[in-house]
Amino acid sequence: MKARDQGEGDRNTGLPNQLMATNFFDQEGAAYFGELEEALMHGVAGITSEQEETSFCTSRPPTLEIFPSWPIRFQQASKTEGSTDSGSVQNTISQMNSEESPGSRKASSELSGKQKEEMASDAPQTNQKLKTQEKRRLVGSTSDKDGKELDPKTLKRLSQNREAAKKSRLRKKAYIQQLESSRIKLTQLEQDLQRARAQGIFLGGCGTDGNVSSVFDMEYSRWLDEGCKNTMELRQGLEVHLPDADLRVIVDKCLTHYDELSQLKATAAKSDVFHIITGMWATPAERCFLWMGGFKPSELLRVIMPQLDPLTEQQLVGLYNLQQSSQQAEEALYQGLEQFQHSLANSVAGDSLIESANVGNYMGHMALAIGKLANLEGFVRQADNLRQQSLHQMHRILTIRQAARCFLAIDEYHSRLRALSSLWASRPRENLMNESAVPVTTELQIVQQPVDGHFSGF
Amino acid sequence: MQYQAAVAWGYMAAAMEGLNRVERLASESAVVVFSVSTCCMCHAVKRLFCGMGVSPAVVELDHEPHGDDMARALARLLGCHGPSAVVPVVFIGGKLVGAMDRVMAAHINGSLVPLLKQAGALWL
Repeated sequence: MKARDQGEGDRNTGLPNQLMATNFFDQEGAAYFGELEEALMHGVAGITSEQEETSFCTSRPPTLEIFPSWPIRFQQASKTEGSTDSGSVQNTISQMNSEESPGSRKASSELSGKQKEEMASDAPQTNQKLKTQEKRRLVGSTSDKDGKELDPKTLKRLSQNREAAKKSRLRKKAYIQQLESSRIKLTQLEQDLQRARAQGIFLGGCGTDGNVSSVFDMEYSRWLDEGCKNTMELRQGLEVHLPDADLRVIVDKCLTHYDELSQLKATAAKSDVFHIITGMWATPAERCFLWMGGFKPSELLRVIMPQLDPLTEQQLVGLYNLQQSSQQAEEALYQGLEQFQHSLANSVAGDSLIESANVGNYMGHMALAIGKLANLEGFVRQADNLRQQSLHQMHRILTIRQAARCFLAIDEYHSRLRALSSLWASRPRENLMNESAVPVTTELQIVQQPVDGHFSGF
Repeated sequence: MQYQAAVAWGYMAAAMEGLNRVERLASESAVVVFSVSTCCMCHAVKRLFCGMGVSPAVVELDHEPHGDDMARALARLLGCHGPSAVVPVVFIGGKLVGAMDRVMAAHINGSLVPLLKQAGALWL
């Protein structure tokens, strides 16, 4: 290996002269050294900047202009450099930098490719193969300094391959780092979730603002699970014709179960009334029927009553009265809520929606609005109270057996609403898409073949 | 010492005054609703009675003299200490029925209508 110029050695930091490859052209060698440097940095420290790379790649020794066998373009450039200032390394180098001659870069790419294989061995397979092939070709052709057979196209391809290989290595590295950090985050989240679940039972009444909704949602899902168990017991009890005394126990349990929900909602509404009243804890179909944060008693009665036959005259009258008084109470509450909304809207609107209000005015109105929001909790509580009272009254009017069937019917109705939500969420949507996508698909098929694959599902 | 006693006596006097007024007003009509003009829940209870064909006597505490004393007396009657509003409070036939939840419960379980009929607020 030829020893390099001392100047060159000093320019390129740190590496001893022996390491510099010199049985190639010097330009090549310089570039090669640059690539070697780059490869080392890849293997050891990671990513080098493009800026460094270009400067390394295109550094040239002062003997640049001597070799006539380089491609024409390069020779012309070298000749001009040679004529002006053969001794000045800097000018040459800067010229070379700006020119960015393909020849040396391509040559160096193969060599650096080889080095990179040795140092950082994660180059893609095809590129490696290509490089070994080209390397052989290069070795064959560069063993003699005259009569170079290097095809400009080949050299360009080699350089592009090098670039692509480097880019994909960097991408792969970044991706792996991302995966690692995601994995760590995932395990942390799982731990947090387990801890939260364990603590969830104790968090009941004391959640912070951000927490309360999720605490309620958790408790609600637990409430649903209990409800399922009760429903099963009711069903079994009715089928096996349990004696009234035993059935009464189950029915009372169901009633208490519903009372629990009112309690849960009341606690949650204290901190986050919007979550309760907008039904964010319920499924979409349930939300469609939502009335003040829950079911509408008179409506539920209307749905259930026909399925409670046979009923005595007295029971019919009692249930009819219940429906009537529910409706009256619902109407009253609703009108109260309307007035609340009017009052709130007035507070929010203030008196200067168009002209920008001064800060004091704005804050004053907002504070007023916030104060009024406290009343919303009262409405949710009264609505839940109404629901509770209705269920208790049903229990009073009906016999135990009828009450069991009544609660079973209520549970089943709500679970069907929930099932409706799931079915709706998972309905096939291609039918909708097909109609609108057909003209688009054909167009795309004509114009862009590769995109065709995307629409194969339709 | 004397001052403190005087203050305490002052409070008691006000409380007595409030309670007296409440009791007096409650017995003046068949159905009496103690309310605050801006309270939406009071509006709801008024609508409930109107919907049933009952016209209650409404006492707006924010318009009455000694309204605060009456509010405090009502709070003590109901046994509520919290910051939540006392009103609406309903009296039927001079007897305390309670706040909104009691009134609703009474209506649902069917005891409100007989009570109204008994007090002469509802016919038929």
